[in-house]
Amino acid sequence: MNYDNDWFLSVLTFTPLVGALVMMLIPKADEAFHKAIALAVSGGLFLFGTFYLLTEFDFDNSGEMQFNFDTNWISVINSRYIVGIDGMALPLVLLTLLVVPLCVIYSWNHFPEPANPKAMLILILILETGMIGTFVAEDLILFFVFFEVVLLPMFFMIAVWGGPDRRYASLKFFLYTLFGSALMILAFLSLFFLAEDSAGNSLRTFDIQALTEWGGANLTRTAGLLIFGGMFMGFGIKVPMFPFHTWLPDAHTQAPTVGSVILAAVLLKLGTYGFIRIAIPILPQAAVVWAPWIGLLAVIGIIYGALGCLAQTDMKRLIAFSSVSHMGFVMLGIATLTTFGINAAVFGMVAHGLITGILFFVAGSVKDRYHTLEIKRLGGLLIQAPRMGWILGFATMASLGLPGLAGFWGEFPAILAAYNPANGVSETIFRTYMVIAAVGTVLAAGYLLWLLQRTAFGEPSEEFANDPEIVDANKFEYVAWAPMLVLIVVLGIFPNLIFKTSDAAVEKSLHPCLIAEGDDLAALDCPAVFDVEVAGG
Amino acid sequence: MEITSNWYLILSALLFSIGAIGLLIRRNPLVMFMCVELMLNAVNLSFVAFGDRLGDIAGQVSVFFVLVVAAAEVVVGLALVVAISRRRATTTADDLSVLRG
Amino acid sequence: MDFSAALPVADVVAFNRPAIDWHAASPELILLGFGALLTLVDVIFLDRAKQYTAALAGIGLLVTMVPILTLANDMSETGPRVMFDGAYVIDEFSLIMKAIFILSGYVVILLSTNYIAEGDYWESEYYGLMLSAILGMVVMASSRDLISIFVAFELLSIPSYMLATWKKRSLESNEAGLKYYLMGVFASAIMLYGMSLLFGASGETILTKVNASLSSDPLTGESLSSSTPVLTLAVIFVIVGFAFKVSAAPFHNWAPDTYSGAPIPVTAFLAVASKIAGFVALVQLVFVGFYARADVFQPLMWILAAASMIIGNLIALRQTDIVRLMAYSGVAQAGFILAPLAVAGDVGDQALASIVSYLAIYAAMNLGAFAVILAAARKTGSTSIESMNGLFSYAPGLAVAMTIFMFALAGIPPLGGWFAKFQIFFAVVEQGGTWAIILGVLLAVNSVIALYYYASVARRIWADQAPDGDLTPIRIPPSLGAALVLTVVATLVFGFLPGAVSQFTDVGLIAGG
Repeated sequence: MNYDNDWFLSVLTFTPLVGALVMMLIPKADEAFHKAIALAVSGGLFLFGTFYLLTEFDFDNSGEMQFNFDTNWISVINSRYIVGIDGMALPLVLLTLLVVPLCVIYSWNHFPEPANPKAMLILILILETGMIGTFVAEDLILFFVFFEVVLLPMFFMIAVWGGPDRRYASLKFFLYTLFGSALMILAFLSLFFLAEDSAGNSLRTFDIQALTEWGGANLTRTAGLLIFGGMFMGFGIKVPMFPFHTWLPDAHTQAPTVGSVILAAVLLKLGTYGFIRIAIPILPQAAVVWAPWIGLLAVIGIIYGALGCLAQTDMKRLIAFSSVSHMGFVMLGIATLTTFGINAAVFGMVAHGLITGILFFVAGSVKDRYHTLEIKRLGGLLIQAPRMGWILGFATMASLGLPGLAGFWGEFPAILAAYNPANGVSETIFRTYMVIAAVGTVLAAGYLLWLLQRTAFGEPSEEFANDPEIVDANKFEYVAWAPMLVLIVVLGIFPNLIFKTSDAAVEKSLHPCLIAEGDDLAALDCPAVFDVEVAGG
Repeated sequence: MEITSNWYLILSALLFSIGAIGLLIRRNPLVMFMCVELMLNAVNLSFVAFGDRLGDIAGQVSVFFVLVVAAAEVVVGLALVVAISRRRATTTADDLSVLRG
Repeated sequence: MDFSAALPVADVVAFNRPAIDWHAASPELILLGFGALLTLVDVIFLDRAKQYTAALAGIGLLVTMVPILTLANDMSETGPRVMFDGAYVIDEFSLIMKAIFILSGYVVILLSTNYIAEGDYWESEYYGLMLSAILGMVVMASSRDLISIFVAFELLSIPSYMLATWKKRSLESNEAGLKYYLMGVFASAIMLYGMSLLFGASGETILTKVNASLSSDPLTGESLSSSTPVLTLAVIFVIVGFAFKVSAAPFHNWAPDTYSGAPIPVTAFLAVASKIAGFVALVQLVFVGFYARADVFQPLMWILAAASMIIGNLIALRQTDIVRLMAYSGVAQAGFILAPLAVAGDVGDQALASIVSYLAIYAAMNLGAFAVILAAARKTGSTSIESMNGLFSYAPGLAVAMTIFMFALAGIPPLGGWFAKFQIFFAVVEQGGTWAIILGVLLAVNSVIALYYYASVARRIWADQAPDGDLTPIRIPPSLGAALVLTVVATLVFGFLPGAVSQFTDVGLIAGG
């Protein structure tokens, strides 16, 4: 089947940018018009994009790159404009397409101070271009550019519309991520110069598919480890992995609601996506050596994030720490380097996006009404705003991994995958991780129920008991939240919607030596690094 | 004892060093100008000595360029000093501290 | 010592008039003509000519672009045009640099138009001197001879000393000029001494011949597999002389004082055009003159690059004046531009291409930033960093432009600067040695440090309150507006279509050619 020369993904990527440009030309005073354009662009793109992707995407060949487009971009460095989408990127693109219009709807009537809908909506649309672009880019430099494009709008969103500590939080976010990207680009460049085929010819390409096919062959061990380390810094800071996570609670706490939602729902996934699209497929041998360390940081993140939650007094900060913990599960799944683990990670990314997105939405609405997120001052949400209280309860249940809801399928298979990691990765170590991660789920249940109990149950505190501002969810909030709630249930009941889509692509992205078994493995003649270690001797 | 071009080169190096050190430690702009002149003339001497040693006229020709340009430079420099001294009584570089630096 | 015996008198008498390629020389001649015309117009018409001088200077620059374009058009047929035995060369590199000089000069004139007219300064002389300085730069781009480089260097420096002092009644401006002058002449003396040593060590002044003879001692004929002390000293002196001009650390002390004292358009001129001219000279010396002696210039460039990046960035973090901030950030940027020279011996083509791209993009970003500073200062009357506070609330257009320039300077995609920085990473990683990789990591770390102060400025613009809550909009005169539009467009185009820039900057190695 021919998937080439398709304009669709470029249209998908750049339509929001075009919308943003149009909005720049319209005077600021015309607020309704701005909202209408932003909604029409992002909503229309969601309807059209989802419809087109679901009908035209060839699910039987979801391992293949589809809707490809490949043309010259910067010829002097042989960097090309290559876009494509496969089963691994598809769920994430759909998630992005969904979240952006919901954010526009949510902020329809209450833009945070200083109210400037024009600027804020323009930033959201630019973000959308950056996010979709990152998921469909198939060239390292193109990926890098899109990966960076999201930084600026996010920085401004926090710096302009953020909370009292926004100056510190916005710069911290920016500096951490840029530091990672700078090392990442060095790693990409080293790949460009060091990649050689078996005949000794330099590949000199940034094409991700070509580099995946090359798969780190003929690269010295040290070079491979260093390059992987550079990428690890770039992606790991974005995820964020312990110990680089400290920017995240600050950014989340200070960011305006939609900023938090986009950050949690999509931005963090750019990092994990980088691991499964670039780092592991291109350098499988280095990945095997790094895997125990990534797994270690992942489980530290799980436990540390959970304990961090228990120490928080601010609702948004608590949700942010729970993100660190949940992304730890995703990273644990990735670190196993197995199809099972990475499929779980893809599912975990989508589930975390939906669940944490809704948690931040609710937290934002609580903040609008109570003007505080201090947990000890809240309480009795179920009495004062019952529907919102139940939605919060539902989201926390989903977040702690209740079977039947989406969160379960992100966490449970990831833990399970750690029982049997890829060839060359120590089973003993990963089984230990598995136990620790399981403890993490218990902690998660603890802090989430604690949160729910302190905020939703009980009597309203005296200061808010008769506050007329505290009303139940309004229609904009319902419209914005309903699709996410529905999806959490649907994906919880039919997890195969995502697993089936991503499986072939995940399998294709992994080096055969990582996942082959028995006779197949013997036939492959794998390098020593993939030698199977039998657990316990 | 025969005086070779090396002697001239050593002299030129000495003059250049004296000029450079003077420029760095003296604080009167006029004296600093004189130090710069000393450095430029050391350069001239060095060009001529090398020109002689290599039998190449380019060394001597260069000196003309240096002389002309140095003259133009001094004119500008003196004009600057005059402009400043009209504004204030003394001219030492240390007094020039309106700008931090 | 008997000089007369040493002089080859017969050769001097048999003087052949060198052939002059008038087409190739026409950009310089046109600039010279307009410079003279401006002076004449002023002498003849006195004050009545004032309102036309800026326009005349601008037209002069645009007319100069014509022969540059025709020369570029002919380049594919004729190849490089060489005059005066190789002392003056018109090739792709020199043409693109000339175009950058003239366009930056044009933007500076746009910036100056209202500033100079409203500030009660001398006008015709200002533009006349500006054109002579630009002429010096244009000559510099073609000079491939020690003496031509020196003359071009002085032709651009001497008018700059005067321009920096242009606010005649302001003590700051006088001081700025004097400091610039003293540092400038000191630098030219050092550079000249280096040139005389280089002449002594090689017996040549034309760069290609210097390069050829640097591999063997001209007196003894011995092969110079390792460098002699004299040669090393010569290279160091010449490079240090230009390090002053490009304000590379540790020779940067003059820059912040001069920048903050000089009139803002002149500051833009010094920070952009004059600095680029210094780099052009360095590039020509390194790629044509010393290319055989990478063992000497590479370590020196490594040290200069690393020191400039680190010192410039760390001091920039503490600045409270936006112009001084730009000065120190300029020091750090100089470190970036010097970095490819530290690996030039091994990856010449890529190093050269990266420097040329960087210079082109640097000109657009920096001029744009100064244009915004100038526009903001029209209202606030100050260049303190607080004067940027809340710019977005009363001048959204300026705020967006400044944001673009700040993040372009920081190298955030998709704005112009990213490709410039990327090209430099590319060159450094391509070389791939241990020192190169250390330099690469230094570059990466410094990009992050630099982001801190650039982003702080952006944050002030967007997130802070305007001083005194004064929200009267800024009136932007048309010439300043034109300058802003030009620089914004250039910065965005460089960022989105880096292929378009790199196509022009891929000029090939000029060593030996």
